[in-house]
Amino acid sequence: MNDMGEPERVTAIEPTGDPADVPGARDLVLALADDELCIGQNLGWWIAVGPFLEEDLALTSISQDELGHARALYGLLGDDIDAMAYGREPYEYLCAHITELPCHDWAETLVRHFLYDTAESVRWGALADSSWESLGAVARRALAEERSHLRHATGLLDRLLRTDAGIAHLLPLFDQLAPMACGLFDAPSGCSDEALVAAGVMACELGNQRAQWQDIVGEALAPAGYQPQWAVADPEAAPLGGRAGRRSPHFAALHAEMVEVLSIDPSARW
Amino acid sequence: MKTYEVFLKRAGKDPFAHVGALEAPDDDLALSFARDCYARRSEGEQMWVVAREDLLVADPTELQMADRAHRHNDGTFLRDLRQVGNAEPA
Repeated sequence: MNDMGEPERVTAIEPTGDPADVPGARDLVLALADDELCIGQNLGWWIAVGPFLEEDLALTSISQDELGHARALYGLLGDDIDAMAYGREPYEYLCAHITELPCHDWAETLVRHFLYDTAESVRWGALADSSWESLGAVARRALAEERSHLRHATGLLDRLLRTDAGIAHLLPLFDQLAPMACGLFDAPSGCSDEALVAAGVMACELGNQRAQWQDIVGEALAPAGYQPQWAVADPEAAPLGGRAGRRSPHFAALHAEMVEVLSIDPSARW
Repeated sequence: MKTYEVFLKRAGKDPFAHVGALEAPDDDLALSFARDCYARRSEGEQMWVVAREDLLVADPTELQMADRAHRHNDGTFLRDLRQVGNAEPA
């Protein structure tokens, strides 16, 4: 408390300190790791049920890449990766709600995959030269894999948007998913992205990253004569706040599936 | 969908080897699927993906060489000849 009786807020950043100790840095990494975990788990659902064999393997190979990124990010925060990935309470997860959606319709998975991987390419880019050096190394490695993911997503999307059936089927899904995907650029509670930029953890603020991402998505959809509506149509009907620890209705089932083996045998090892 | 043939080359002196085929709607997606179907565990450090329709395919009848015994020399003729030669002075 200061002498006005108000709680003191720590805003100053120790310039010589460890960038990982900048307030909010670890929460941001945790949020990105949780995104990757949920996306990886959800994409893995497609094993053996993809629309054709090659797509089956592609989605699940990308799933393993995303789980690898989750593992690398959790590894920046501690040694017990399983405990971080599987052992927390639902309100302790910071994933964006779009990553929790099951998307068991392939078109939904494709649209979410495109929105997520374009978003990732922007945010990994903003972290590639991070002053938190091990985070920068994870980001640079992930960027290399991201190029393959984007080639897969944009290759299919561009092709399908050249057909009437593709336009009729996919564009309404963008109306539904694009506003929700904006949550990927929300800051975790108590995380000041200005402070993270000032400390060199990130190259630019999350709002700036969101704008870059929206430009990329807008450009990709322009040939189909479509501009995504980014605003949430009805905030009451679709409460966001995944980064604040609020879980969507889909999280419980997703998490139960993730921990199914561990709950049978807590000492299980892969 | 078009059919593509996939070739991988491991690090070192191994040559490119055929690893399988896949179907894809276009060349870019063929490269994308080839990575996920055949190279996701670092099975190769270089990859060729070729549309099957672009392959030059030989006439199989030109490859039927099984009845040309003179191309399947197992060395016994020469061995027998030498043995005869060696035996002569005795």
